[in-house]
Amino acid sequence: MKTNDSNMESGLADRIMDRLCLTPAAVAGIILLFVIPFIPPFNQQYMIRWLVAAALIGANAIAFDFTIGFINIVNFGYYAFLGFGGYTSAILAVNLGLSPWIGMIIGALFSGVLGLLTGLLTLRLRGIFAACMTWFLGLAMMGLITKMVWLTRGPLGLRCPQLFETSSNLPYYYLILSLLIVIYISTKWVTRSNMGLAFKAIGQNMEAARTSGINPVFYRIVNFTLSCTIAGLLGGFYAHYYGVLTPELLHTTKTVEVLAVAYIGGRGSLWGGAFIAFPFIITMELIRSSLSELPGLNLIIYGLMLMLVMIYYPGGFAEFFNTYLAKPKNRFLRYFLSGIKDS
Amino acid sequence: MLLEVKNINAGYGFLQILRDVSFNIDQGEYACVIGPNGAGKSTTMKTIAGLLSPMSGEIIFNGKNIAGLPGNQVARLGIGYISEDMNLFTNMTVQENLYMGAYVIKEKALKNDRLDFVYNLFTRLKNRKDQLAGTMSGGERKMLAIGRGLMANPKLLLVDEPSFGLAPQLMENVFDNLDILKEAGVTILLVEQNVTKALQVTTRGYVMENGKIFMKGLSSDLADDPHVRKVFLGV
Amino acid sequence: MTESKTGTVIVWMKSAGGITVTLSILIAIIAGIDSGPYIIVNTIVTGGMLALVALGLALIFGVMNIPMFAHGEFFMIGSLTAYYIFTPLAEYLNTSPNSLLAATAPLIAILGAMIVGAVAGLLCELLIFSQLRKRSRENWVMNSFLLTVGLSVVLINAHQLLFGTEFKGIVRYWGGRPTEIMGAFVSRDRILVFVLAMVVVGVFWLFMKYTSTGRAIRAVSQDQTGALMVGININGILLLTMALGCALSAIAGAGLLFLYPSYPAVGLEPLYLAWFVVILVGLGNTAFALVGGFIVALIKALTVEYIGAGWDFVIPSLLITVVLVFKPSGLFGSEVRGVLDL
Repeated sequence: MKTNDSNMESGLADRIMDRLCLTPAAVAGIILLFVIPFIPPFNQQYMIRWLVAAALIGANAIAFDFTIGFINIVNFGYYAFLGFGGYTSAILAVNLGLSPWIGMIIGALFSGVLGLLTGLLTLRLRGIFAACMTWFLGLAMMGLITKMVWLTRGPLGLRCPQLFETSSNLPYYYLILSLLIVIYISTKWVTRSNMGLAFKAIGQNMEAARTSGINPVFYRIVNFTLSCTIAGLLGGFYAHYYGVLTPELLHTTKTVEVLAVAYIGGRGSLWGGAFIAFPFIITMELIRSSLSELPGLNLIIYGLMLMLVMIYYPGGFAEFFNTYLAKPKNRFLRYFLSGIKDS
Repeated sequence: MLLEVKNINAGYGFLQILRDVSFNIDQGEYACVIGPNGAGKSTTMKTIAGLLSPMSGEIIFNGKNIAGLPGNQVARLGIGYISEDMNLFTNMTVQENLYMGAYVIKEKALKNDRLDFVYNLFTRLKNRKDQLAGTMSGGERKMLAIGRGLMANPKLLLVDEPSFGLAPQLMENVFDNLDILKEAGVTILLVEQNVTKALQVTTRGYVMENGKIFMKGLSSDLADDPHVRKVFLGV
Repeated sequence: MTESKTGTVIVWMKSAGGITVTLSILIAIIAGIDSGPYIIVNTIVTGGMLALVALGLALIFGVMNIPMFAHGEFFMIGSLTAYYIFTPLAEYLNTSPNSLLAATAPLIAILGAMIVGAVAGLLCELLIFSQLRKRSRENWVMNSFLLTVGLSVVLINAHQLLFGTEFKGIVRYWGGRPTEIMGAFVSRDRILVFVLAMVVVGVFWLFMKYTSTGRAIRAVSQDQTGALMVGININGILLLTMALGCALSAIAGAGLLFLYPSYPAVGLEPLYLAWFVVILVGLGNTAFALVGGFIVALIKALTVEYIGAGWDFVIPSLLITVVLVFKPSGLFGSEVRGVLDL
């Protein structure tokens, strides 16, 4: 926790930033993200679409990192929870005519409940077994959604109403950006609290955590449920932004994408994945659209990046930032990058 | 001199345990290293056996510096190591475990000779040759571990805590077997918590404390030394 | 002596594994009577090949502690290699028939696939896993798992990039008239491929049991320190294990080429099914992978027959999830300790 005596006399802005777990650089980044849709070449619709995709992946990376980076569980069926939330919301909207906004919330709650049930079953198992089980559960759910054609229209795809009555991508961009920030701040709050300490303890040393009186299963389930709830919410956004859902959404390859972004961004940092998603996704989309005669190249880069980071630099971008960039000699720059005012 | 350890510094990660440890063992000798818990006795053994790479220093075995060689190459040079927790292959039979001990020997006939030798020494193992190692009692496992260590016909046998966790009767048994080996000409370095016993059976001893060699001498002299008596024997 | 042996068999039949096997055989017979023996034939043919994939998976997990997610991609590499070896051979045979080559061409293709699979495995170990092992052993199972995830993505898309997405398959290996077994017509390819799978399993078992190298592999899986102490070169054994495991998967891919044409994601289904097998019998348990292969193949065949195609992911995954919940160490007990964290 950064709040110490030296910060007592610091200004109101600093205290607000500290409350929100942001550094001046982060605030500047957020402002930049808010104005970027007006700066060429980002002001074109397809670019804003990419930005929305990047923000969505970034928000997912935060929720994913919240489990893998803290309690050390790979939720290999992450997109199954996301898809479950999305389908719930879409089915409510299509069949009952419910507003997508309410649907998104209900979808999030449904995903959370599903996450809770899954957690109760899986999270007493060792990490790799829990990963397998979420993976198989995801597969089973994908199969179910494919076969329940009467409800989900199966592989034909479920059309669902959009959130805004406009063809512009801009309102969606601001919505997902706000969601990203809210998700970041709320997960950061949790990890800063005593509960966050317990998460970290479980992730690093199960034995030590247990002997100091932490009930690992309880904390794992809380963490997992929270992460799944966020996944469900973002699933609702996905459904009502892209307007069509197919069972493919629940596939493991989608989870791998988020996993790669979270790891490259920096495991356990929360912000790393969210930050790296923007340059990364946009580069990937550029590669995909400009080198369309070489299909799959962007995914090869994905996989290679994931492997390289895992082997040679497991801390990811966040560690790189903290060791090399965050503490320059210049006092003002240092304050800007790390938010620490010292003599 | 069969083994000469010169100024070894070793440890785990940043934690240094051994500081400037030096000692030596002659061909055919039966020597021991004694010392309190955490003095670095087992670490010394692991460093010689190549399971731990020393930070600095030399280990001269048969005129060759083996410091830093991986364990499998050390084993090939003729150092047998019987660890405290034995490291048996629990899902293999007794005979398979023994054959694994002779992994570095390629000739089949020689392997079978060694097997006969070990079976002669421990008839109990012969009777149980098809039993899984994991299902045996503590004493039998210890026997198997020693037998496996002998299969490669080592020039030097490192024995770590052979009495650990054994009933007194079985412990006597294990020490009798080590005596037989000594008579057969195997050089043995013993690490033992049971100081009385260790000083009884060996000829020379080293006392380790806090990762350093603190005293050395003939075992009989050490057994009479006031410091050793006070610290280890409580007299 | 015989009495005690029957006694052991009866005790085993009462264990979870015994009940499962007995029940599976009964169900298979009932289903065979109910809807025709082709169910049993299908189960046996796919089960044999599935066992090969699962055997490799179990071997790699048991010895190297790597939960392999990219194992299906070695299946894909195997089928791709077999395709590119067998197609030119078959064309050559069309123009100039040669009975000896006609009989051996499929074997050449499968052998080639095995070699390429083994080399691919060697490269993966050298370039990826040994690099990670040198740098950090902390949290190894999870990190190596994620590495294999990355590897899987790379290999699938490399196939797409280099060879395209279209199906690369063959109609038959040996061809010839189908043989009638218990009233079902079974193609000669299926029979020969099943025989091949059983031969490979048999050779593998003999290798692990009676050769010094095979024993060394088992020794490394049981106690690495102990293996080092007796003079085994661990890195060499790990390389060999990886090559062996991947070669097994590649053989399966090549053997089933006439049923599953090669395309980028062809490995996904064998991967899932092989994972079902290893979870069912217990992670790292190579001894029962064969049995597990048949059981999972039976579950799949029954699902397709009685519930319908498309459900064959749902039912097995749900069943496996149930196994994980109630018996996480697998039905046949496992050599891997510490399934539960608590």
